[in-house]
Amino acid sequence: MHRFLRLSTLLIGLFAAVGSYAVDAPQPAPMTEDDLGPAIEQPIEFPHNRHAGLRNPNDPTNSDPLKGGMEIDCMYCHTYARRSAVAGIPPLQKCIGCHQSIASVRETPRIKKLFEYWDAKKAIPWKKVHDLPDFVRFSHERHIERFISQLNRPVQEVCGYCHGNVKEMTVARRSKSLAMGWCASCHQKDHPVTAEGGKPIGNQAYWYNFQKPAADTSGGAVKAQGPNDCWQCHK
Amino acid sequence: MMNSGFDRRDFLKVLGWSGVAIALNGCGNTSVEDGKETVVSYVETNDYMIPSISTYFNSTCAQCDAGCNITGRIREGRVLKLEGNPDSAINRGKTCGLGQAGVQHHYNPDRVREPLLRKGGQGEAITWEKAYALIAEKLNGVSGEEIAFLTGGVSGHLKVLLGNYLDSFGCKNHFVYEAIAPAVLRAANKKSYGVEMPRFNINKAKVVLSFGADFLGAWVSPVHFSQQYAQFRKGVDGQRGVLIQVESKMTLTGANADRWVVVRPGTEGILALGIINALGTASGDIAAKVRGYDRALVSKETGVPPGQIDKIAALLKLRSPSLVLAGSAAEGYAHGSQNAAAINLLNHVLGNVGKTVEAAAVVPFPQMAPATGNTAALKTLNDGLNAGKYKVLFSYAANPVFTAPGAMKFKDSLAKAGFKVAFAHYLDETAMQADLVLPLDSALEDWGTQVPEYMAEGAQINIQQPLMEKLHANTRGMGDILLALIKLRRAEEYKKFDDYYAYLRTAVLQNKGALGGGVADDDTFWNETLSKGIIKLAGSSHALSGNAATAGLSLPAPAAINAQYPLHLIPSVSASLRDGRHTNQPWLQESPDPLTTIVWDSWVEIHPKKAAELRIAEGDIVEVTGKNGSIKAQAYLFPGIHPDAISVPLGRGHEALGRYARGYGVNPFQILDAVFDKETGELALHETRVKVSKTGQRVIVVKDEGFVGGKQMGKKIAVRVSSDKVELSEEV
Repeated sequence: MHRFLRLSTLLIGLFAAVGSYAVDAPQPAPMTEDDLGPAIEQPIEFPHNRHAGLRNPNDPTNSDPLKGGMEIDCMYCHTYARRSAVAGIPPLQKCIGCHQSIASVRETPRIKKLFEYWDAKKAIPWKKVHDLPDFVRFSHERHIERFISQLNRPVQEVCGYCHGNVKEMTVARRSKSLAMGWCASCHQKDHPVTAEGGKPIGNQAYWYNFQKPAADTSGGAVKAQGPNDCWQCHK
Repeated sequence: MMNSGFDRRDFLKVLGWSGVAIALNGCGNTSVEDGKETVVSYVETNDYMIPSISTYFNSTCAQCDAGCNITGRIREGRVLKLEGNPDSAINRGKTCGLGQAGVQHHYNPDRVREPLLRKGGQGEAITWEKAYALIAEKLNGVSGEEIAFLTGGVSGHLKVLLGNYLDSFGCKNHFVYEAIAPAVLRAANKKSYGVEMPRFNINKAKVVLSFGADFLGAWVSPVHFSQQYAQFRKGVDGQRGVLIQVESKMTLTGANADRWVVVRPGTEGILALGIINALGTASGDIAAKVRGYDRALVSKETGVPPGQIDKIAALLKLRSPSLVLAGSAAEGYAHGSQNAAAINLLNHVLGNVGKTVEAAAVVPFPQMAPATGNTAALKTLNDGLNAGKYKVLFSYAANPVFTAPGAMKFKDSLAKAGFKVAFAHYLDETAMQADLVLPLDSALEDWGTQVPEYMAEGAQINIQQPLMEKLHANTRGMGDILLALIKLRRAEEYKKFDDYYAYLRTAVLQNKGALGGGVADDDTFWNETLSKGIIKLAGSSHALSGNAATAGLSLPAPAAINAQYPLHLIPSVSASLRDGRHTNQPWLQESPDPLTTIVWDSWVEIHPKKAAELRIAEGDIVEVTGKNGSIKAQAYLFPGIHPDAISVPLGRGHEALGRYARGYGVNPFQILDAVFDKETGELALHETRVKVSKTGQRVIVVKDEGFVGGKQMGKKIAVRVSSDKVELSEEV
């Protein structure tokens, strides 16, 4: 045992380990304690807070860009999220569709840059903020159907489960770990199967893990876990 | 440190620690690319374009001339997969392996991307304007007779446009060359049935007797025939159809047959007449013609046992209607036309004409019908080139430097043309000889119409449309190039067409009535046409002329064995490689040959008895020598071949074309003798005689079937009965 702990042995082990990191460089920034992803510089510093943030009650005309947002539904721009596995980035024409008739900000640096891309008919080279390994198949559509359409939860809350509080960010930054354990921690929770005003859900859809939806002892609501078969994500 | 006792145990421990460290590191998010990878969104997009959701467009497969209708799956603006179009009468929603590889034609890394002008041994990239100006300059002052245009099979509006272009300088030298097209059969059918390509109803036949027609593999319209074959096997009136295949080298169809009858190469016609004789139902001229072909003589000449001939005749008598097919194996001889005529005569005698051989529907626009041709056309071109007749030569969709028989020395003849322009997808052997190479759009990027030669049911015109944006900025569609060229000659007439798409649209809409457009407005009709990908026409059909004449039918006795070159060379056409134009699609190289399971290489098929005689074992590199040179390839012992024949597959052995084709295998076209069918002048593909010798080298044959090969190792998976012990008519 003492030989195992000898300095030379440990040093070689350490050297090999550090070396293996060096070989794999560049690495993504290590995760911070609060699961905050790297700050990413985007071609245009898109203000999510201005678009999706809450209105400032003291400013009914919404004139001060620093003080309040416009409460635009996430899915107004990220329209693919409810239709497909990937949320996609809105096409440039979507931005222009509104901004061509918003004269008040037309000459601001960011909007000028936006129109430069549009005039050149060039796509904006956004950098990826939320990415999963290639062996994970995550479906936006499925989660939106479950939580927004069936459980009738508010859109910003549902998107926020994974994307964090985007309405207070400018450029989006990853704020959840998106690691498998993190996903599983939610899939192992008992979620209500029906909600007031939401769509009714067939029983069989929640028989994952051979678990029949059962009436919760406390509240009487029927609850079930999320799918937890490996192949749900690792197809 | 090593001296201080760093022993094996320590080493293993260190290895363990560092291994754990590396593994932990490896488990990190190494494939996650936050902040590194760019996500490119659309600038503008159609509403139906949703990332990760596929859209589908109909088009036409261009991998062979059968004209299967396809549906392309497109995601994020890129074509991913091709499937058959279920509305097609030809392929009914199916495709073959060759068709599947169409995406590899499109995404191929070896496609030509810029117009190239020869500068010494190199091609220099030039602009299209310069290329067009150069062609105009070279054509200046050149008369129509001094221009030659070589193409593969063309049809539809491209053929019309090409015709008009050639017309603009009075050129009549359009040579159509498809190396393995059934040209002799067309001529024989024209004589026997009155049409070149009648419709064969395999599904209505109770017996199919096929003389070397590989209709499940590579013959005429294999996807269509495969489906007919499935119906045929299910049976008419509950009677399962019986397939008898007569050939010298087993094809995929032969392997599926109930009875595979091996015949001495070139004696297919004799056997056909022998069967007519054995039937005993013929009268008049025909009876007189076949009187000499009694079973003793026929058996002696063809090598088919007399009992077998009687059994085939008995079965054909018992079950009607039947269908007799003459395939490329029967027509590939100097007397190929006679062979085909004798086989077609059998259809007449059996009363199949009008039942299982029917008149095919015809597109009511004869100018769009496919232009067909084979080596006879190439021979004329070759003679013209040798005589120094052509100052400018255009070449499109043909690769004669690779596919012309070696004896023709086409490469040398080609050098005698003044200025050679090749329209090419790849730098193939012919494009390598050209002075100017013009890069073409892939079939998945281009517009077009196609009229299949073999019409499955009603007449149809196939629509080819782009499935995605062009991959390379400087490639052009063949139609666009022709339009640009014809504008240099007839500007007034064609100036109203901006591009080939506009030409095509105008041309189709002009005939809206005849094309079934009815009262629909132009946009509706055009959009519907593109959406369907097929224009189905009422179409008339030429009546078959039931001409069962025997005049001029004379079959030579089988050729004596040539002492110097004792073996017949059968260049086999594989279902995936065909004439070798698609060999640079790696899926096709990778998919095992259905019978030998060999991949990525050529082989010499040889009968085990003959191999034992020559002391050849599997994997021996053997030299196949003919009058026109030799090729070396690995030997493969195969019981499905006549002992006096060997077979080498066509399609491999490229010296150019691309990274997946160059240097793999050998090219049997190179050693083919220039023997031609006496009536049609087409190349007799199977007439080459060779000898085989060992070189002393041996390799391990790369194949899927495992080391024991096709042997059953005593497992009795399939019962083997010598075919003359089988009572065909009782069994089935």
